[in-house]
Amino acid sequence: MDAGVIPISNTQLALSVILVLITGVISAALRLELLKPLLWGTVRTYLQLTLIGYALTYIFNINNLILIIVIISLMCLVASRTAVRGSPRAGRYSMLLGFFSLWTSTFLVGTIVMVLIISPEPWYSARIAIPIFGMILGNSMNGIALSLERLFSEVKSKISEIEALLSFGASPWESVRDCVKEALRAGMTPTINSLMVVGLVSLPGMMTGQILAGADPQQASRPLPVVVMLMIAAAVAIGCLMLVLLYYKKLFTKEDAIAHYV
Amino acid sequence: MPEFFKFDQIEYHMGAAGRTVKVSSDLEEGSILVIKGPSGAGKTTLLRILARLLECDKGQVFLQGQNWLSFTPQLWRSKINYLAQKPAVFNGTVLDNLKKPFALKIKKDMFNLDEAIDGLRELSLNENLIHQDARTLSGGETARITLLRPILFKPNILLLDEPFASLDDNSARSVMEFLKRWLENETGRGIVMVTHNDIYKDISGIKIQELELSEPGVN
Ligand SMILES: Nc1ncnc2c1ncn2[C@@H]1O[C@H](COP(=O)(O)OP(=O)(O)OP(=O)(O)O)[C@@H](O)[C@H]1O
Ligand SMILES: [Mg+2]
Repeated sequence: MDAGVIPISNTQLALSVILVLITGVISAALRLELLKPLLWGTVRTYLQLTLIGYALTYIFNINNLILIIVIISLMCLVASRTAVRGSPRAGRYSMLLGFFSLWTSTFLVGTIVMVLIISPEPWYSARIAIPIFGMILGNSMNGIALSLERLFSEVKSKISEIEALLSFGASPWESVRDCVKEALRAGMTPTINSLMVVGLVSLPGMMTGQILAGADPQQASRPLPVVVMLMIAAAVAIGCLMLVLLYYKKLFTKEDAIAHYV
Repeated sequence: MPEFFKFDQIEYHMGAAGRTVKVSSDLEEGSILVIKGPSGAGKTTLLRILARLLECDKGQVFLQGQNWLSFTPQLWRSKINYLAQKPAVFNGTVLDNLKKPFALKIKKDMFNLDEAIDGLRELSLNENLIHQDARTLSGGETARITLLRPILFKPNILLLDEPFASLDDNSARSVMEFLKRWLENETGRGIVMVTHNDIYKDISGIKIQELELSEPGVN
């Protein structure tokens, strides 16, 4: 059963530069001007993954609850910066709301999974917690970014309907309810799509990892990847809901009129 | 007996140039106040301020002696109803559009279909229009349907921004008569309107307030 991890030597790693070259040639031929970001991205990928390798070894050995919480909170911070970039007021306040929603949804769902479903020994085992939380965060981040972007574009395109409702005495919530619904739908659609095609088009990241590491596909397909898929769906739903519900108020002035920057 | 509707020393500035407008006026119960002024003078801006959709720099508005700030924005807007220069049309039929405001929490009354149909007739619109997709209406039909919407909602004051802009003279006259009847049908009503049309000339008891287009720095 234990076929072990597929070994990749440094030479092989260096050969993967060929992949970058292919993309680079395409970019140069079509003048996409992606060469610089592509190279920078490649360097960052090598660097970040190498460093995280060392860091993870260290963190797994220490396996301290506080340290794990700090690490995951830092991950949330980076994710929230990326998630709220699309909003017209990407100020500190947006970041704060993004961070709060990501943090709460990730910790809520992640902790349930760790304590009740996987229950390793100890329940916060870094070796399991960090990859699990990472997966949740990556997906919630994308969901939140999509929701937020859709919320703003919907409100912009429906501004005259919203003002008409406001002028009949609608509350802010009544006036943007349809936009909020669309925003939530947009944030959750990728996750729901992936629930539909999982196994048919793509394998969950977790299962891919286990199979590459030599696990039997039948074992690898359940129950953990099922749990992971469902937990991701739950976290995305909670994260998007929290952010959109916290955020829509920011579209209004304290007089409950549409703010001028929308 | 306090004045019915009054705005006092309303002061606001517009655009990047920061031109400032100062205006005071009042309206008697059952009458019409016409706001006049050249394009860009700030007429739309004034109506939006009166509906509390925009904030002004200074000044106060009173409805039957009560300060506007003693109402919640929602309650105020349900009493002082602003109809935009380019009114919004919602997805759905004309009926859906007329019913829309009645779905709001602030509105306690039920939608009355007979009133809506009477309204259509009075505005010389065919009553079969009620099941037509609202987005397929002509410009003039849209103008009258979107005017009927706040009429059925029964606010105290209607703030109308160029209600005759897309109407021919005959329709404009029938709309004007319709508004006049609306004012007389019940107490506690008034209209503030912005218009370039002069059909109000034959009607008695109309007050006119000019908005001057002053240069920046003046005042
Ligand atoms: N949101 C805004 N941002 C910047 N400038 C604005 C804004 N709204 C209005 N203005 C400016 O304020 C001025 C007054 O606008 P307003 O719509 O009140 O004019 P108006 O008197 O209604 O003109 P018209 O008769 O053409 O409708 C205009 O110069 C306009 O460009
Ligand atoms: Mg105007």
